[in-house]
Amino acid sequence: MAKVFGLCNMHDSPSLGKLTEKRPIGTCSFLGRYGLMDFALSNFSNSGIDRVGILVDKTMHSVISHVRDGSIWINNTKTGSQRIFFNENIPSKKFNTDINNLLANRLHFETEDADYVVVAPAFFLMSIDFRKYIEKHIESGRDISIIYKKVKNAKEAFFNCDVLKVENHTVKDFSVNFGRAKEANISLETFIFTFKTFVQLINHAREISTLFNIRDLVNYVATNNLYEVNAFSFDGYVAPILTFDDYCKYSMDLLSYEVRKELFKEDWPIYTTTHNTPPAIYGANAKVCNSFIANGSNIQGTVINSIISRDVVIEKGATVKNCILFSGTKVGKDSQLEYVVSDKNVKIKEIKELRGEEDHYMYISFGANI
Amino acid sequence: MSHNVVAMILAGGKGTRLGLLTKKMAKPAVSFAAKYRIIDFPLSNCANSGINTVGVLTQYEPTLLDSYIGNGEKWGYNGVHALLTSIAPRQTDEGANWYKGTADAITQNIEFLDGVNPDYVLILSGDHIYKTTYNEMIDLHIDSKADATISVIEVDPKEASRFGIMAVDSTDRITEFQEKPKKPKSNLASMGVYVFSWKVLRKYLIADKNADTDHDFGGDIIPTMLKDGLKLQAYRFKGYWRDVGTLSSLHEANMDVALNRSDLNLYNDSSTRIFTEDTYSLPHYLGKEASIVSSIANQGAIILGHVKSSVISNEVLIEEDAVVDRCVVMEGSIIKRGAKLYNTIVAPYTVIEAGVEVNLKQEEIALVGGKVVR
Repeated sequence: MAKVFGLCNMHDSPSLGKLTEKRPIGTCSFLGRYGLMDFALSNFSNSGIDRVGILVDKTMHSVISHVRDGSIWINNTKTGSQRIFFNENIPSKKFNTDINNLLANRLHFETEDADYVVVAPAFFLMSIDFRKYIEKHIESGRDISIIYKKVKNAKEAFFNCDVLKVENHTVKDFSVNFGRAKEANISLETFIFTFKTFVQLINHAREISTLFNIRDLVNYVATNNLYEVNAFSFDGYVAPILTFDDYCKYSMDLLSYEVRKELFKEDWPIYTTTHNTPPAIYGANAKVCNSFIANGSNIQGTVINSIISRDVVIEKGATVKNCILFSGTKVGKDSQLEYVVSDKNVKIKEIKELRGEEDHYMYISFGANI
Repeated sequence: MSHNVVAMILAGGKGTRLGLLTKKMAKPAVSFAAKYRIIDFPLSNCANSGINTVGVLTQYEPTLLDSYIGNGEKWGYNGVHALLTSIAPRQTDEGANWYKGTADAITQNIEFLDGVNPDYVLILSGDHIYKTTYNEMIDLHIDSKADATISVIEVDPKEASRFGIMAVDSTDRITEFQEKPKKPKSNLASMGVYVFSWKVLRKYLIADKNADTDHDFGGDIIPTMLKDGLKLQAYRFKGYWRDVGTLSSLHEANMDVALNRSDLNLYNDSSTRIFTEDTYSLPHYLGKEASIVSSIANQGAIILGHVKSSVISNEVLIEEDAVVDRCVVMEGSIIKRGAKLYNTIVAPYTVIEAGVEVNLKQEEIALVGGKVVR
């Protein structure tokens, strides 16, 4: 079997507004207990990729406390490994690219004993078996492959994503999705490289531009006909978390079993870190429907169409409707919340009503006392 | 913890009164409170006490329990000085042996203990539900210069004849041990939790090894120590403690958690958390027509029906219009559409077919497992 190195990339990722202001996109809480990066890392693990690197753009501690020693996703902790790459010497934000990160950690990265590398972002949520794409990559004899999805809703979603012009499984051109056509081949920014080529390209990138990310580099070499790049189609479910609104929408979509079963498959577990919380407890007056409730929560009030994370307390008489509450949120007695996203450890005490709108959720920042 | 303490957890018992729950696994591996196994409690207590070396003595159906214990990581026992290991009886130079009694299980592992060379040995039972740290008890043992210290709990005097009872003097020194006495001399029941000075215990275990006894701590070692005039101290345990050896006591203790009516505080207490295995599950989901009150539910469950005063474990599916009332539903069970269950313990991976009614009269606790059809 080919030796494959997996790289989970948090650079070159969209901003989810306040949610990603103080944390990298990968550790942003999702569906009550996950970090967004869990999907990419679980895809590596389930695809038999036991050596992984995590490219971190900011707030290392948030990543380290989430991924710990990697034993959550690594099968054999001796032959497998999890390395965290962070560029400590960036002169300014614009140089904080994945390529500069890899170059800064060149000695740790280039020595990796791998034949192929898979680069996957944290913000396209999907359950994907990389093995069959790696096989196709090897069969093609080419050095670079992009995994894309042919979507029919490009007018409503995937804005600003790369669109591929594909002919005969080959990338012919790149453009950007501005929502002009329904159908588009959206790049999932998931790349397979032959490892040697990848190392050469990374080292060569600076000569072209010091601001390049891996995505730009692939675009450059493909459009300048330096390499023929494979385009492989993925036809499973993809949740693109590109904006704060996307984050809310795709979280809520998963309340539907029909959607959920497309992302969470029985033979494809999504791993995450444990927090040793007890089961959720419900009081005598609890009313809960169409919601996810994570462990450690204490529900005494009403919860409707919501996602409740770890250790959330909802007191008597409180109503939480169409909300996403991050871990440690406390909703005091008789408070009414609708269309609210509360970041971690928010305490809602005195204010009795907080209301956002269906297409504009109200965000409450980390640790706020209201 | 500054003292050199080794904990030995007795986890070899079958637990015959738990019926099919222990048909294929030892009692300490039985599920509790939607997320845990019973043995998580003594193991977490040890971790929270800072005890770094723990041996788990297994015998009946040890495979599941052994693999559950693994390298001890679930309770943090994979750190630099930590050791958690399960020790089943085995073939040795002296021949093949089963553990013939609680004391014999330790006697057969004298070499293990000598290897660690502790000052004190803490003997625990693998099938009790309680949250504590053992530090206060060990401190009492040291300060009172006792040879053995026994954890006792005050029981209803009317119930005292069901327990091993310790009579004590004004300093709580044990003066007499009565096993299930008709006329109890106190209401202090032994919890089967002992601290021994290792050198003293070692001597008594060797003497007991070839003696014609049941090789039992309560029945043989403790009475012999008392007879010999050793100093045995009682440690009064305060708080929630349950022996969940019967279906009704197991059900009752689960209800204590679901109804949040006991001192077993699983919530809001960061100093004595109970650690356990994590499952790769989504948070549990409650459907559009579902209801849940006075209950606990673990991740991975999908609840589409009606749950009241119950314990719902991971990966349980309760379909539409099913009713679950005062039930303990263990992991992976499916309760199909319209089924109704009352006062029932549902064994792991049970399937209750649609419309089945269990224990409508709600008299005693029912136990169901396998495939339950009309």
